[in-house]
Order: sequence, then structure tokens, then C-alpha cells
Amino acid sequence: MKTYAYFPGCSLEKMAYSYHQSAIETTRALGVELKELEDWNCCGATAYFHVDELLAFTLCARNIAMAEKEQLDLVAPCSGCYKNAYFAREALLHDPDLAEHINEALAEDNLQFAGTSKIHHLIEIFAFDIGPDAIKAKVTNPLKGLRVAPYYGCQILRPRKGKEDVERPRFFEDIVAATGATPVEYLLRLRCCGGALIITNRMAALSMVRNLLECAVRARADLIVTACPLCQVNLECYQKQVNREFGTELNVPVIYFTQLLGLALGIPPKRLGIGSELVAVMPAIEQALRTEPAPAAT
Amino acid sequence: MSAVTSAQPPKEVDAGVSFVEEINHLLYAAKGNPINTCIQCGTCSATCPVASAGYMDNSPRRLIAMIRAGFKEQVLKANTFWYCASCYQCTVRCPRGIDIAELMYGLKRYTVWRSEYQEGLIGPSFSETFVKMIVRTGRSYEPVLATSYLFTYGLPEIIQEAQTATALMLKGRLPLLPARIKRLDNFRRMIRKIIPLGEPE
Amino acid sequence: MSERKRLLIIDDDPEFVAGIKAILTRAKYEVDTAYNPKDGWAALKSKDYDLLLLDIMMGRGAEGVMIARKLNKDPKLRNLPVLIITGIREQIAFLFPGQAVHPHFVPVDELVEKPVEPKLLLEKVESLLKAAEERKAKAK
Repeated sequence: MKTYAYFPGCSLEKMAYSYHQSAIETTRALGVELKELEDWNCCGATAYFHVDELLAFTLCARNIAMAEKEQLDLVAPCSGCYKNAYFAREALLHDPDLAEHINEALAEDNLQFAGTSKIHHLIEIFAFDIGPDAIKAKVTNPLKGLRVAPYYGCQILRPRKGKEDVERPRFFEDIVAATGATPVEYLLRLRCCGGALIITNRMAALSMVRNLLECAVRARADLIVTACPLCQVNLECYQKQVNREFGTELNVPVIYFTQLLGLALGIPPKRLGIGSELVAVMPAIEQALRTEPAPAAT
Repeated sequence: MSAVTSAQPPKEVDAGVSFVEEINHLLYAAKGNPINTCIQCGTCSATCPVASAGYMDNSPRRLIAMIRAGFKEQVLKANTFWYCASCYQCTVRCPRGIDIAELMYGLKRYTVWRSEYQEGLIGPSFSETFVKMIVRTGRSYEPVLATSYLFTYGLPEIIQEAQTATALMLKGRLPLLPARIKRLDNFRRMIRKIIPLGEPE
Repeated sequence: MSERKRLLIIDDDPEFVAGIKAILTRAKYEVDTAYNPKDGWAALKSKDYDLLLLDIMMGRGAEGVMIARKLNKDPKLRNLPVLIITGIREQIAFLFPGQAVHPHFVPVDELVEKPVEPKLLLEKVESLLKAAEERKAKAK
């Protein structure tokens, strides 16, 4: 069983608890262990970089150093946490003076950064370590007929890490297809959900959410799946406010990709945290679940 | 830019540093090309979901032109960088390899340090509230953050926010108590090694 | 003090630098300037200076602290007197309201906060240079 150091991030404690539950359930079902960092701190989100980037690097380095102590690679389910940790590690690796400076601060907590642990987003574990074929082999409830729009968002892909193609990724579609569902092709799958603008510029963010949702619905998506708690909150919890502000009638469920995977793996919806959404999920998925041997009732 | 400008006679004004150079100094550690290499193609503005929806007073392309023309005052008072959502679409698509999102971060820092941003923006007070919260507890906590922006809202928005918050609370998705990390003393000492402010250790 | 003393300013604020440079030049110091930590370090490595005037908040954050620490570890530069001139309390005042700045990143440094009075600036510079001379004389 492959083990990763798991850095859930602040959102997964409560707001996105269902992402945490489904991440634990699905990785376990696929033979991967997530070992939670014992005293992780906030990654600094975007706000820290507005004040002091060195401080932001230090926060990330503390989490990375704890993973290194366990001799494990670090996995983050939140795209923001992932991006921050990934690029903090890069910055420290390429600037020995910076690493030395930050290590002096980390010493206050008996930690050291050496760069031995790599950083992954949770979806990369499924897409590349486990792989769609291995997932498919474990699927007991193929979600036939369910049209699912995979939403990449921003920070899994951007900024670019090397020379990879950030314009035409397919790994999320491949994961959706592995569950038996049909990945929906739609134009705005890589477009920003507004992120923290939902707080700092509400109308701009709501209009971005509206465009995204309408685009997915027009492509006949039954369901949108995300890999980031902020994307999920913006696309789902603010749907009502979008309808109110723009006179739309949007009502499309938005869940985490791990919840979709869990359903296909035959894990009861309740154990995946399904039921904590503001837009009901069951009406959209009931038919897909019914075509197969019934899963345990919620 | 030469690394060191040697001394000028006393009466001369130090004409050496233009605004664009000042910004280049601010971003000295950034990986992208300096903004002097911008060809004003407009890819950044077209690809920016906020600018193209009409929410920025100056598009990223225009902001870069303003920096190069030395419009310091107008640049600092623009909402462009505070309305950047950090989606990095401009950065990955810039044909000249300029890290435009990083420029936006740099300008946020620059204006926070000088308290010289456009009035009425939520971004600066949100950032300050957030950073303060992490310094105290090591973790973020949504209800505290709400205090940084709700006061700017009108009644209709407040009602909508309250409805969303109530719905989330009923689903058990809002934390009632702030979380904090365990080794908080170490954590605070760590922060003071980086930012030399605060009570002695 | 017979020969002209050579000073380096590392500070990201061109207006402030222009101001104190004028004051120091008028007082017959030779003054070089660098506006970011990288250029500043390159200058320290390429020329001999008698004193460094160092800002804290530059580039990515509190980079002046990083330079001060690096100086302290450098056998050739560790005895260079450093005068830290900072507006950090104002720049990120919201973080630790009303609390003091910790000045001692390097053993021989001094700290003044912006804005700085010309008279005070010259006094501090002079006394740091004098103390450095005395240390040097003692070492011999």
C-alpha cells in the first residue's frame, strides 16, 4: 500500500468535509493510504503573498518539512494549497539562501526543509499513480448514462510546472470515464470560478460562476465535478445568489470527483458525505445508481 | 539596469530610477521576463475572465502600458491587481513569457506596504484580516473573515449572504469555533524569525 | 578620518534613497545605491564598503533580515557596520499593532525608523563608523 502525507487544508475541516470523507474512502478502496500531517498549518492561501512572500513560503515549508520528517510525499486536495506548496518548494530548491533563511525559522519548530518530499494534488494520485485502468477495474457500479462535466479550475494546471500542455488536459475526463459516466465536453472547463473574488468582488465572481454553470448546463451536464473546495463552494453554494442577481434558474449539483468515484466503487453515498450539498445531488444520480445492483441506502 | 549606480553630485536629482524599474526591482526574484519586453498584444486582457467581463478599470495590458509610461499614481490606484483572481491564464498565455499574475501579486504587496490603494476595495482589508488570523492561530476560520467585507455590503447582499450562511450551517458546513494548531508557540516564534515584529521571544 | 568613507544603501524606495543620498553626499561620504536585495548583495561582494544602510521590506517581503543574516555568516562582511532604516512598522502595522521592531539581526547593527531626520542620520552614521574604526584599531 502506497502512503502519502496528507495535508487537508483549512476548508476540508468543515466547509468541504465531504471532500475529506470521500478522499479517505476512495483512496482506501484503491489501496492508497493518506496519513494526515499531525500539526499542519494554513498554506497562507493567496492573502499571505499580498503581504510577505517569504512568510508565505515559510508557512508552506513548515507543512512540507513535516512530510519530509515522515519521509513521505505530500498530497493536497485543495488546488490553492497544492499550488502554494508546489511553488514554495520550487522556490526553496532553487534558492539556497532562501532555504537557509527559512530553515532558520523552521528550527523554532524543530523542523528542516531539504526538498526530499514531492508535492502532488490529490487528483494526480488518481490520474497518474493509480490510473484510470486500475480505477475501472475496481468499479462495481458503473455510472452509465450520467453526464458529468469535469471542472479543472485553475491551480491544478496553472502556473505551468514544466513544458506540459496546460491548454488541452484530459486526465480529469479520463477519471470520469473510468467511473462509467460520460465526460461532458464544454468550453469553460479550465476557466476560473472567481476564487477568492467571491469575497473581494462578489459581482465579478458571481458572473464568472454564472458563465461556467450555463456553459456546462448547455452541454447537457447532469452534474459538475470539481477537485477544489473553493471551486465547489463558488459553483454550488453561490448558485442561489447567481439566480437572484441574474434572474437565471440554475440548479446543477456540484460534487467532488472523489464522491463520484466513490459512488462508482460502490461506497454508500452517506459515507462520501453526499447530502451536505445545497443543491440536491440524489435526483441527478438516482437513475445512474438504479441501473446497477442497488448500493446501500443512504 | 546596472547593479550599482555610483554617486551623483549633491544637487542632482536621482533621475536613475523610473517607475518601471522600480517595479522590476520589486519583482527581482520573479521567474518571468521583465515587463519591458511586453509587446502590448492584449492576450492577457482577452484571456482574463475579470477584465473581459468588464470588472477592471484598467485591463492588464493597459496597466502594463501605464507602468511603462510612468503613470505611478494611476497604477497604484487601479483596481486591476486587487480584482485579479490568481487564475494564471495570462501568465501561461503571454507570448513574451511575462509572469503577469506575479506582477499583480507584486503590486498588491507594493500598495499594502504603502497603504496606497484605491478606496473602497475589500481586497486589502481581507488580506490583512486573513494574515492576522493565521499569525494568531495557524489556521483560517471563515466567520472571522466575514467581518472584513460584510460592512461594505448593502442590505440585499447581506440578506443573501445570511441565507447562504444559514443553509451551510444547517448542513453542518460552517465551523462554530476557530481551529488552532497545537505547537502555536513554536509557530509564532517561527514567524518572528521572518518578520522581526512583535513582543520579544 | 582622512579618506572618504564609502557607504552603500540598499532600499527599494527611490525617493527615499534620493533624499538620504543627497544628505550623505553633502556630508562628504561616497554613496552607492542598490534598489533590490540581489543588486545589493552583488555590490557588497564587488566593492569594499565602510557602512551599509539597509531597508527591511523589499522585493518579496522582509528581505533586509535575510541580507543581515547572510552578512553575519560571511567571514569578510560580518564586521561591516549596518544601519537599518525601516518603515516596517508602518508597512505592515496591522500585523502586530503597537509592537516593537527587533533590531538585532547582526551584532553590530543599529536601527532607525522612517522618516529619519537628517541630523540623526548623520549622527548614527558617524558613530557607527567611529565604533568600527575603534574595533579595527583594537584588533590590531
